[in-house]
Amino acid sequence: MSTPLLSIKGLHVKVAEREVLRGIDLDLPAGEVHAIMGPNGSGKSSLSHVLAGKPGYAVTSGSVMYAGKDLLELPPEARSRAGVFLGFQYPVEIPGVNNAYLLRAALNAARRERGEVEIDAFDFLTLVKERMAVMKIDESFLSRGVNEGFSGGEKKRNEILQMLVLQPRLAVLDESDSGLDIDALKVVASGINSLRSPERAILLVTHYQRLLDHVQPDRVHVLARGRIVKSGGPELARELEQRGYDWLLEQAA
Amino acid sequence: MNAAVSRPIPGSMSNAAYEQRLRDAVMDAASLLNARLLPVSVRSAALNKALAAGLPQLRDDLWRYADLKFLASAALAPVPVASTDVLAAAVAPSLPPRLAGYTRLVFGDGRLLPTLSDPCPALDLSSAPLVPDRTRHERFGWLNDAFATDVARLKIGDLQRVEVIFIATPGVSRQAVYPRLEVMVAANTELVLVERHIGTTGAQGLINTAVQIHAGAGSQVRHLRWLAMDDDAQFLDTTQIAVDRDARYQLTLLQLGARTARSSLRASLYGVGAEFTLHGVVVAGGKRTLDNSLLVDHLAPNTRSSQVFRAIAHGTTRIACRSRVEVHRAARGADSSQSLKGLLANAGAEIDLRPQLEILTDEVRASHGATTGALDENMRFYLLSRGLDEQTARALLEWAFLEDALRDLGLPELRSAAEHALAAALGSDIARQVVS
Repeated sequence: MSTPLLSIKGLHVKVAEREVLRGIDLDLPAGEVHAIMGPNGSGKSSLSHVLAGKPGYAVTSGSVMYAGKDLLELPPEARSRAGVFLGFQYPVEIPGVNNAYLLRAALNAARRERGEVEIDAFDFLTLVKERMAVMKIDESFLSRGVNEGFSGGEKKRNEILQMLVLQPRLAVLDESDSGLDIDALKVVASGINSLRSPERAILLVTHYQRLLDHVQPDRVHVLARGRIVKSGGPELARELEQRGYDWLLEQAA
Repeated sequence: MNAAVSRPIPGSMSNAAYEQRLRDAVMDAASLLNARLLPVSVRSAALNKALAAGLPQLRDDLWRYADLKFLASAALAPVPVASTDVLAAAVAPSLPPRLAGYTRLVFGDGRLLPTLSDPCPALDLSSAPLVPDRTRHERFGWLNDAFATDVARLKIGDLQRVEVIFIATPGVSRQAVYPRLEVMVAANTELVLVERHIGTTGAQGLINTAVQIHAGAGSQVRHLRWLAMDDDAQFLDTTQIAVDRDARYQLTLLQLGARTARSSLRASLYGVGAEFTLHGVVVAGGKRTLDNSLLVDHLAPNTRSSQVFRAIAHGTTRIACRSRVEVHRAARGADSSQSLKGLLANAGAEIDLRPQLEILTDEVRASHGATTGALDENMRFYLLSRGLDEQTARALLEWAFLEDALRDLGLPELRSAAEHALAAALGSDIARQVVS
């Protein structure tokens, strides 16, 4: 078996002296989609944030290897340029910085990292408008401030749009399905599915099985109290939907 | 009187020493104090008021954050200029690019430089001087009345676009310069005024500006004040604006320069329905003290004012803004808002924002708010997580922070010039890209 794109071993993480991840082991091979499920407070968002390099999370032991690199050694911007993308659960509004500018700056940062020239302005617009059509986002959005005045659903679609423009090798999507109505959920799911390819991997962090009806995962892992307590195939998600998390929590206790 | 009020600020000179220095300055500059410009009676009355007012004392709330210690050693007297043509040739390379469609007037060390200025029929030295009533809040304006060596006295009777540049130089010997701008805007006319201050008189010098503008009934004034003096400039400024019935005055302030600056601004809304808006942006790094005191007087019914003030302090710079709105008894139906925000770029910087509101009548709408803090960590992380480097993320967020103070600049040529100056002040290629 070839080396997985993402390999997490014995990961322990503290936030302000509280241990939020207590020994995570996870291998995510290229070409696969894995779901991380679990109740509130189980450490799902902490795992996403640690992978993206958010300040405030102290790794006390363990390792995270990504494409042969020690991911934890890299600052957040270098992780992004190396192809790691975090879709935020709560994307922040940044009035005054327009979406088009951010998208272009982000894309060019990744291109420079790969030794490519900056994208031509017209090529950029063509690319973005094509991806916006996929995500059913109005063109007026380009000149608006990042997430400024967006509804919850618009913010989530914007995250997926950014992902489609950046074409990351590893996408970590933190509850990209929460707060979406069924139409928006389908749009988000089709965006995620369009990224699937043999060289990419996707980590879907979700509370509910709903998104997994539209994006079929290869593996499902259940996180509880900072540990993966059970892993299985797509059927595990359906079982959780029927039985809830309590039976697993009891086992883990 | 409270004994504390008359105690001098530590490190500053005594009022007796100040008085002596002012009297000496009058003697030194006697031959320069042109009586045709401002009558002797005006100059003499102003000097006496300045002497009576003395220097601000410790705990004078109006002057709490002003750094005036330099006055103990700075020159107070203007000095002769050998030749305005020689001065003009010397400063010409430092002038900013021209704004298309604007009549340009250039003043060097407080004197009109004809070879660098356009013919300007609105420039009218024969008309009566505009010398507003001043209080201790405007006390350094009296020094300008006493020591001004020339004036941009403009009578605006039809649509005008005017750019007045005041450039200061260290001079042949240490000097104070007194830039002076007087503008009468006739009823129902429109003026776009760009007022720029550049250069420096150096660490031993003083630039003491007085600006007085009267906006006649129904007039529309857009005024961009651009303070971009050199890093060692010592700058005092008194600006008084009177707004008559149904006139609209839009002031934008860009403050990017000087080692120490104190600006005292008073806007008097004395005609029914008069409106005054201020959009102020202050960006400074290094070790500077930039103090702004803004007073808005609502004196008549249905007057409106709004202030949006944004400051970014880097290094060990201290920026202060006291913004006081007074709604007088006669000003029923007044509407006022103040939004002051400060961004501290690092630990050594300081920003002091003080919105104040006094209402002496009924049926008034008024709001005010002030916040100061560091960059939002969530915003910063969001940008980093999209691959932007630290410096770019920071510059973009600082840019965004200022954006709502610039939104109202309206005229594209001014907006573009202002944005480029700010991008340069933020020191980021990325900010430059955003505006290009």
